[in-house]
Amino acid sequence: MEFKKKKLENDMFLIGEVNRSAKSAAVGFFVKTGARDETREINGVSHFLEHMLFKGTERLSALEVSEAFDRTGAEFNAATGEEYTIYYARVLPEYLVEITELWIKLMGPALRDEDFDIEKNVIKEEIAMYKDLPSFDVMDRCRSLHFDGHPCGNSVLGSEESVTNLTSEQMRSYFVSRYAPNNMVLACAGNFDWSQICSAAEGPCGAWEKQAVGRELGDCAGSKKTTRVEKSNLAREHICLMSPSVPAQDPRRFSASLLASIVGDDVGSRFFWDIVDKALAEEASMQFGAMDGTGVFQSYIRCSSEKVTEVLEAIKGIFSGLSKSGISKDELTKAKNKTLSALVIKNELPMGRLLDLGFNWIYLEQYRTIEEDINSIKAVTVDDVHSLIEQFDLGDFTQLSIGPAQNSS
Amino acid sequence: MTERVDKHILKNGMVLVGEPMDDVESVAFGFMLPGGASRLPEGCCGAGSVIVDWIFRGAGDRNNRQLGDALDGLGLHRAGSVGSSHIAVGAALEAENLPQALDLHADIILRAHLKEDQFELARQLAIDSVHALDDDPRQKVMIKLREQFYPSPLGRSTLGNIEELTELTAKETEKIVKKTFNLSETIFAVAGKYDFDSIAEQMEKLFETGEKKQLEKVKFEAKDGEYTHLTNEGAQVHIGVMTETVKPTDDDYYNARVAVSVLSGGMSSRLFTEVREKRGLCYAIGARYHGLKEAAGILCYAGTTPENGQETLDCVIGEFDRLSEGISEEEIQRAKVGLKAALILQSESSSSRAGGIGGDYYMFGRVRSLDEIKKKVEETSVDSVLKFLRNNKFKDFTVVTVGPKELTVK
Repeated sequence: MEFKKKKLENDMFLIGEVNRSAKSAAVGFFVKTGARDETREINGVSHFLEHMLFKGTERLSALEVSEAFDRTGAEFNAATGEEYTIYYARVLPEYLVEITELWIKLMGPALRDEDFDIEKNVIKEEIAMYKDLPSFDVMDRCRSLHFDGHPCGNSVLGSEESVTNLTSEQMRSYFVSRYAPNNMVLACAGNFDWSQICSAAEGPCGAWEKQAVGRELGDCAGSKKTTRVEKSNLAREHICLMSPSVPAQDPRRFSASLLASIVGDDVGSRFFWDIVDKALAEEASMQFGAMDGTGVFQSYIRCSSEKVTEVLEAIKGIFSGLSKSGISKDELTKAKNKTLSALVIKNELPMGRLLDLGFNWIYLEQYRTIEEDINSIKAVTVDDVHSLIEQFDLGDFTQLSIGPAQNSS
Repeated sequence: MTERVDKHILKNGMVLVGEPMDDVESVAFGFMLPGGASRLPEGCCGAGSVIVDWIFRGAGDRNNRQLGDALDGLGLHRAGSVGSSHIAVGAALEAENLPQALDLHADIILRAHLKEDQFELARQLAIDSVHALDDDPRQKVMIKLREQFYPSPLGRSTLGNIEELTELTAKETEKIVKKTFNLSETIFAVAGKYDFDSIAEQMEKLFETGEKKQLEKVKFEAKDGEYTHLTNEGAQVHIGVMTETVKPTDDDYYNARVAVSVLSGGMSSRLFTEVREKRGLCYAIGARYHGLKEAAGILCYAGTTPENGQETLDCVIGEFDRLSEGISEEEIQRAKVGLKAALILQSESSSSRAGGIGGDYYMFGRVRSLDEIKKKVEETSVDSVLKFLRNNKFKDFTVVTVGPKELTVK
C-alpha cells in the first residue's frame, strides 16, 4: 500500500492509498460539517443538503445523475452525522476516474427550488421512519439531553418543524460557507492510478473558493439528567446511557475503545455475561463515540418494563465494580483480539480502508497505516484503561428511556 | 481473475466447499445445519432461535463461560442465524486461528451440553426477541409478509411465536437438535486464506461418522395471495408486497433477476424514480428477489406516512404491472452492469464468499463460478426479459401493512 497526498492552492487536500492487488476501488468526499455546525433555525440543513446533492447540477438532472452512477454499477451513498457529511462510492477499478469526476461535479449542486420542495417530503418521511425505530430515537434524544445545549446535541435529521420552515435560500448560504475546499478532503483507496485522479480533480477542485471556516469546539461534561418518555405503541423499554469520554484527537482513544468493548461488546463483555446471557435484557451494548474535541461512552439496552430496575442495578454494579476493582489482563487481551481481527477484516476491503483514511484526515489531519493502528491497540496496558476509568466515571451518566406507559425506572 | 473451488465430501455425506482468496489475511467459515424454521415439527415454531443460542451455552469440556471466553480469545466474529431451511453458524477471523475455531465448533455442533437451566435462558431471550418485534414495525412487516406469501411451512417466522415458545420444553428441543443436526445434509463453506488439505483432514477427524442419514423432505401446501393489516399507532405505515416468480434453478432465473434490477436495482430504477424521486412519497423503498429451493418471490418494502399510504401501494403495484409493457435497452444495460459489478464487489469479502458458495451448493448442488454467473447475466436482453415477464405475469400480490391505517388492495 502506498500513500499519496496533494495540497491544492485553495488548501484542499487530495489523498489516496493505492493497493494494486485490490479488485475494487473506493472514492469519497469527506466534508467537515454536520448537525453541530447548524443553528437552531436551520437544524437539519446538513442532512437535507446531502440529499439535494443527488438532485444534480445546472447541467445534470437528478435522473441523469442516477443513471450516470448506475451505468457503472457503482455502490454509492452518502451519510450525515453530527460533525461530518460523507459521499462515497465503491466501484470496479476501471470506473473510478469517471465516478470521481461525477462526485466533483455534484459538489457544485444546482439546489433547484422544485427539487427542494419534493425532497422536503422525503426528508419528512425519513424523520417519520426514525420515529418508528425506538432504538434510534432513544439514542438521538439521549444525545440531546446529555449535551444539553452544546451543539453536539443537535439532531442530524432536524425536526418536522425545522425542516418545514427551512428555505432553499438558507440552504444555499449554508452550502457556500461549509462546503469550502479547505473544509473537505477527496480520498481514494484500493486499485487506482493516482496521477489520473490528480488530473481529474486538480482543475475543478482547485477553482473552488476558500472560505473562513471554523467550528465551535469545547468539551462537554454532560447534563447527567434522567428522563423517561412514554409512547403508548411500544412493547419494550429502550434505554440509553451516555457519559463523557476522550475526544477523537486524544491518543487515549484506543484505550477508550477497548474499555467499551470490555464493558459492552455484543458477546463476551461484562454486559453480555451479567445481563444478556442471564436473559435480563435481550440487548445491552456499549460503544465509544469519538468526536471533535469531545467524546462519549454510549450504551443501549432493550428489555421488558418489568426488568428495568433489575437491569439498571446490574449495570450500576458493573460500573462500580470497574471503579473499585478495574479490569483483568485476560479481559483486555480478549478485547484486543476481537478489535484487531475486526480491524484486519474491515481493512481488507477498499471501502473499509477509505473510511479510515478519510476520517483520520478530517479529525487528525494525518495518514495512519493499518500497522500503526494495530500497534496502538497492542500497546494499551491495563494501567492505561484504569487511568481512563478513574478520570471518566462510567456510573455518572445521562439517562434517557423510551417505553410503554405506566412504568417508572 | 483465477477462481478455484475446493470440494471434499465426507463418507457421511457432509459437504466441504471452499474458495481460496489471494491477498487476504482473514478467513470466514459457516456450517449450514438443516434445522431451519420450515424443517421444525408443527407447534415448535421458534425452536431454531432457541437452539442457535442454546448450543453455545457450554459444549465439550467447556461450560458456558469457558466456551464464550475461548471463542473470544480467538478474536472470532461470530455469526449465527436461522433461515427457512438452515441454521447457520459461523465466524470470520484471522486465518491462523482457524484450526482452533473449527475444534470449538465441532464441540458446539456435536457435543453441546444442552442443559435445562441454560435452555430456560435461551428460551426467554427468544421470547423477548418476538416481543421486541413490536417495536420494529419494518422488520415485523417483512416477517409477516414471508409468512403470508410462502406455502406453509416455508415462510414460517424464524423467530417463532410467543405461544409456541412458551410451550416449548428442553427435552423436545434437544430431540430437534439431534434430529436436524444431520451431518449427511450439512454443508460447510470456507473462504479466504486457508489450506484446504489440512482443513479436509481436520474436518474428517472432527465430523466423519461414516453413517449416512436421509432427512425428511419438507411438505408444503400452496397459499393464495391475501391482505393482512396489523395495527400499530406509529408514525408510518409499513408496506410489504410480494409476488411469485421463478426459482433460482429455473431457466428464467437470470431474466427474473434482471427484471427485479430494472424495478429496483439502483437510484435510476423504476421504483426509486417513480415513488421517491417524482412523487416524494417515501424515504425507504425497494424490491429484491427472494428465493428458496421450493418457491421464490419478489419482495418489496415501502414506508410512508399514513396519508400517503394508499397512493404508495397503488404506485408500487402499478410499477410491477407496467414492467412487462416495455423496458428500454439502457435500462437493461444498467441492470446488467449493476448485477455484474455487485457480484465482483461482493467477491472481495471472505464472509460474503463463504455464504455465497454454501448457498450455491445447497441450491444447485454445485458452486457456480463468477464467470458463469456473469455470462448468464450477459446473455439476457430486452427481448428475453420481456418475454419472461409476459409469460409469467404478476398475478396475485400478497400485501401486509403495519401501521395506524388499513389500506385497500385493488
